Formats: sequence, C-alpha cells, structure tokens
Amino acid sequence: MKRNYVILLVFALIVITAAEMIGTQSLSFGAFSVSLLPLAFAILITMILGLPFVRKGFIKKIYSKVNVQFSSKYLIFIMLPLMARYGADVAPQLKEILNVGWVFIAQELGNLGTVLLGLPVALLIGLRREAIGATLGLGREGELAYISEKYTLESKEGQGVLSLYIIGTLFGTIFFSLIAPIMLDIGFRVEALAMASGVGSASMMTASSATLIERVPEMESTILGYAAASQLLTSFLGTFTMVFLAVPLQRFLYNKLTKTKKQPEVPADVRAAE
Amino acid sequence: MSVQLNKYFKYGLVILLSTALILFTQQIKLLKDPASTPVEWMTIMGLLTLWLFSMIGVLLSDLMKKTPIKILQEFPMLGWVAVTSLVLCMCFDFFVEAIGYVDFLAITTPILTFAGISVVDRLVDLRKTSWKVGIVAVFVFTGTYVGSALLSELGLFLANK
Repeated sequence: MKRNYVILLVFALIVITAAEMIGTQSLSFGAFSVSLLPLAFAILITMILGLPFVRKGFIKKIYSKVNVQFSSKYLIFIMLPLMARYGADVAPQLKEILNVGWVFIAQELGNLGTVLLGLPVALLIGLRREAIGATLGLGREGELAYISEKYTLESKEGQGVLSLYIIGTLFGTIFFSLIAPIMLDIGFRVEALAMASGVGSASMMTASSATLIERVPEMESTILGYAAASQLLTSFLGTFTMVFLAVPLQRFLYNKLTKTKKQPEVPADVRAAE
Repeated sequence: MSVQLNKYFKYGLVILLSTALILFTQQIKLLKDPASTPVEWMTIMGLLTLWLFSMIGVLLSDLMKKTPIKILQEFPMLGWVAVTSLVLCMCFDFFVEAIGYVDFLAITTPILTFAGISVVDRLVDLRKTSWKVGIVAVFVFTGTYVGSALLSELGLFLANK
C-alpha cells in the first residue's frame, strides 16, 4: 500500500520534470500559432501511458487501481492551491473588475452558445434526444446533476451528457489551450478572452488563461484576475443560467428545428414507446 | 470527532503534497530557464499561504453544507477557497505579495499530471461515446467560449475600456 504511493509520487515527479524539460512548444498553422505549455504535455504524457495497450508491465503498477483512485478522489484537493492563487490575482484588481462588473455578468449569457451553436450541429448530424444532454452546457457536474435528475443517466439524454462529460474530461484542457491563441490571432482582445475563459471548469479555465499569458506575458495579472473573476461568477450564476435560460432556449430551438425537418414529435414518440 | 480530525489531517497532507510539488516544479523551471521565477524564502511563505487558504476553504465549505441556504450548500469547494483567498488578500497585502512569489505555471503542471492519471480509466469509456457527440463537443466548447468572448468584446467596447 505505502509502496504504491511512493511509486505514484516518483512517477509524478518524473512526468513533471519531463513536461517542464519539453517546455513550451509553439506550432504555426498559416496565420495561426498555438503554443502547448508544460501543463498540456503533463496530461498528454499521463494519458498516453495510461492507454490500455501501453499500460503493461511496470507502467501497469504505476497505474494501479489504488493510485488511479487516489488521483481522482484527491484531484480536487490537489487543485485547491490553484484556487487560492486566483483569489490573490483578483484582489488587487477588484475595483477595476467591479467597474466593468456588468460586462462580466453580461458575458455569462455567452455560455448559452453551447445551445445556439451546439444544438443545430447535433440535430444536423442526426442526434436527437442525446443532443439535449450534450448541448445544455459544458457537460460538467452542474449539467450532469440536472440531466440525471430530470431524465436519469441511463436515458438517451443522460448518455449525451455523460459522453460530453467524458470527452471534456479527457480533451477539454487541450482544446482550450488551442482555441485561446487562435481567437487571439483572429483579433479578439486579450481581456475579452480572459473573461471568456471562465467557462465553469477550473482546468479548462486554467488551460485557456495560461495559454493567453504565454502569448501576452505583460498582461499576466489582468488575464488571471479577469479569468478567475469570471469563473467565480460562473460558479455562482451557472445553475441559474442553465435552469432559467439554457433549458427554455434549448426546448424552443429543439422544437423549432425538428419541426421544420418534418419529423414531428420524434422524442415524444420514442419516450412513449419506452 | 476523531474521524473528523483524521479526515482533515488527510486533506491537509494532500494539499501539502500539492504545494510541495509546486515548489519542485518551480525549481525544475528554474533549471530549464534561469530567468524564470526564482525560488526564495518568500516562495515558501507564499506556498504556506496557499496551503492555509485551501484549508480554511475546505472547512468553510463543510460548514456551509450545514446552512439551510441551498445556494451556499451547493457552492463548490473550489469556489470557497477562491473566496477565502480573495477576502484575506483584500485585508492583508502581505498575502498578495507572498503568493506573487509562486510561479503561476508551476502550480498548473502538477495538477494536470494528476488529472491525467485520474482519467485513464475513462479512456475505455470513450468507446461507449459516439463520434457524433465528439463532433458536437467541439461546437459546444467553441460555442460557450466564442459566445462569452463576443459579449465581453462588445461590453468592453461599450464601457470604453
């Protein structure tokens, strides 16, 4: 038991060292350049080594049941110092942030973009009830709780939100460390992107804001302050935005879009049949 | 009561491990690039501050679970730690200064290392998800990010910032 944890710790130290030694790597695609930070390499290395066909022999020992369980059970506690750091980033700028406080509140509505952009695409490629679960929000704990309460996780809606949850957990940080610099290259202001970083998942917010800092290092304190403030606001308002805005909007759009395709009441029929 | 204390002792140790890993990462960063954030006495003070705020946040989160107000009960532990830190940093400049000696990126690498280890058993679940949801995920993530960025851009423009 003890030996297990020692192996885990040594492994973590090796991965951190490797990720830091790889350092920040920039890749250019035409007009866009993205940079992968050590944090992205850390999650890539640990995930690749954990792939079922790689996880053999000694690596299997590192990824023992106890160690994987320890990591997922205590991940939230390992993240706490990061959250404490965010408080220190917001504090010196609180006045400035409150000055544009309404902008922070207004941009919370941007989280409805999951429905506005995601739902039409989901319906277009043929998803129906899964689309309800998969586009209500980012598919983090809030949406998971809401969908499982309303439809259960075994339902089609539940499968949709669970799939999104898994995909987000695995690829969310990588995705946000790629999209942030692309948006910067498109011409968005770094302050606006910092605010947008507070999407509701701490690791996705960190990936986005860290990548922005890499690109605009002189704005570090503003980026961290804005991202953290927006993230805090999302934790407070997220549930309300979901229940009072995202759910009705989704229902409205769903009915509108499925009707025009001459597939009336498909979900109701399916539900009745079950 | 002793079970309770035992629980907090465990949390305290895990958070201490986390701060120790941050120190390690900052040192490695320094080896790779001598111009990065140095490791000084104040760095240790900063890490202790982060540990302290985390512990206060954990206790606060447990206390709030006992209040009758639903929104306070459900507010995440991560949020309580940030709020604790925000309030105490507003009161004492020392905390802001000390935390400033801790390199931001050095905090993130250890977290993502453990995040990676924690999700490996879900890699198998990926087979259960349909590729369609994978495509939708890209648009869902882009939707929330671009949506918020557009509104922020507009808001900041209107605020003349």
